Amino acid sequence: MKHLLNLIDGDKDIGRGNKFWAGFFLVLICFFLYPTFVSSFRASNTAFYLLNIPMGFGLCLIWGYCGILSFGHVAYYGLAGYAYGIIAGNLLGNSWGPILGVLGGLVVCTIISGIFGYFVFYSRIQKWIIPILTLVFTLLLETFFVQTSGYQWRVGRVLLGGFNGMTNIPFFQIGTFEFEGYSFYYYCLVIVLVLFFGLRILVNSKFGQIVIGIREDELRTEMLGYDIRFLQCVTFIISANLAGISGLLYVQWGNYITPSQMGILQAALPVIWCAVGGRNSFIAVIFATIVLNWLSFTLSSQGNQYALVIIGTLLVITMVFFPRGIVVMIFEKMQKIR
Amino acid sequence: MSMLTDSNQIIISTHNLNKKFGGIVAAKDVNLSVNTGEFRCLIGPNGAGKSTLFSLLCGIERADSGEIRILNKEVTKLKPFQRIKLGLGLKFQTNRAFQSLSIKDNLSISNNKIQVMDNEIAEERYQLALSEFKLKSEGAKLARELPHNMLQWLEITMILASFPKIVLLDEPTAGMSVEETLFTGSVLKRLNATGLTIIVVEHDMQFVKDVANKITVLHEGEIFSEGTAEEVSNSEEVKNIYLGRD
Ligand SMILES: Nc1ncnc2c1ncn2[C@@H]1O[C@H](COP(=O)(O)OP(=O)(O)OP(=O)(O)O)[C@@H](O)[C@H]1O
Ligand SMILES: [Mg+2]
Repeated sequence: MKHLLNLIDGDKDIGRGNKFWAGFFLVLICFFLYPTFVSSFRASNTAFYLLNIPMGFGLCLIWGYCGILSFGHVAYYGLAGYAYGIIAGNLLGNSWGPILGVLGGLVVCTIISGIFGYFVFYSRIQKWIIPILTLVFTLLLETFFVQTSGYQWRVGRVLLGGFNGMTNIPFFQIGTFEFEGYSFYYYCLVIVLVLFFGLRILVNSKFGQIVIGIREDELRTEMLGYDIRFLQCVTFIISANLAGISGLLYVQWGNYITPSQMGILQAALPVIWCAVGGRNSFIAVIFATIVLNWLSFTLSSQGNQYALVIIGTLLVITMVFFPRGIVVMIFEKMQKIR
Repeated sequence: MSMLTDSNQIIISTHNLNKKFGGIVAAKDVNLSVNTGEFRCLIGPNGAGKSTLFSLLCGIERADSGEIRILNKEVTKLKPFQRIKLGLGLKFQTNRAFQSLSIKDNLSISNNKIQVMDNEIAEERYQLALSEFKLKSEGAKLARELPHNMLQWLEITMILASFPKIVLLDEPTAGMSVEETLFTGSVLKRLNATGLTIIVVEHDMQFVKDVANKITVLHEGEIFSEGTAEEVSNSEEVKNIYLGRD
């Protein structure tokens, strides 16, 4: 237990020590109390910002910690979402359906990212090609799902739905309890928390250290006797599953999914969250994901067509003035002042 | 003194190893064989193929032909990390400690315990390097803040942290002052005295004479001559290749 706490408080993410954790739990209490002040509709909207965080975590892990930029993590977001829709949709009325859907979604993510990772990491291709390959992969998936309109694209009793996507995807449920509104908000919050602590443990563990070594110098790490290709593959699979978790939460939230979730605009988003917040920090990614999602949601719901332009501008400003991310650099400044 | 009993066993060897880069012959029919517990020095002019030989031993480069044996195991087809796991440690010619990480992290990443046997003695060697090279007290410092000699010591210690049986050091004292070089030599000798097999590429003849049991001279990819420090340094031919007179 002591050991785990030390790992959580390790130095591989910003934010350590009593002061930080006091602030952390204060903010957390606010998050837990938040639904008591707002309507179920608002809580559900806020849950949308939370549900994207795992995908941000995934990119943070593979890009920030392992040094591999994936521009196609939305592929796993989409795959998990569709898999859940197909499984839970076919088992409609069965209370185990949603749970099996979740497991199915994660199994699909694991298999597909495993195959993709195997070919990418074991083929010794040059590193700069990887973002392009990941992007191409997700665009291919998008194209595939767009053409799945019509009755021939039916899996059991679920229609894939082509461009318009899959609808009537069931809520998540345990027993007879369905997660929607307030309960869905708490469900997302708990998942984000568990993942956050889990990832802090992971990056501060031996495994995390080796992954950081791979980022810093692949050959040096390999020449210490580590199977770096295997480790890169495993890290890629973990991060793909994190994106998958976001995809699962997304379909459980909105009850639909369209191929555009795997499109180029969506693909850019997690990269932006990580770049703006700071790709070396899960805390920073939480901040950035919530704020940027809130920003683009608010801008576009006010009929502002330039939401994406504004977010893009923010990205450019970050890259020029805060190359390691706004949140991370502010944090470091604060630590220096103290 | 159990290591003396197997000290005449060959721990690493090559048989007719060949490697070309385009038209450049980097290794030509290299038959190297090093005994357990030996302190071997590889010398030779620039471009002689010393670093390439290390790369071939570790599997970073694949040989065009020939055979490599580590601890009596044919490893020619093994991947680099698999060879390392047999008990190899490599210090690169250009220092490759993880620059942006702390000394502590550098060492804990390296702590792979590749060698299953003899953990106690391996731990002893690691502790010896840690204290002699004064790395313990500066754990929080980033590698890139270290002066060059400390960086070299750090990478040597990192390798010992992985518990190897054989260490390959490519110019470990490059960039060091005379005293630092001598000191490094003395620490390496103490490590060697614990039974660790050491192969060093070095240009500094004083250092080589000081530490080596045996010297191998490489020239244009070939083993040009082999012998004790005295034999090699008195050889007219060796002087010639160093002065470019052949
Ligand atoms: N990856 C490579 N591609 C092409 N040529 C190479 C490569 N590596 C080494 N060489 C060439 O092979 C020859 C041997 O190089 P190597 O680095 O082994 O020499 P060295 O004895 O270590 O020299 P130095 O004392 O300068 O370190 C040189 O001519 C070098 O240019
Ligand atoms: Mg060299």
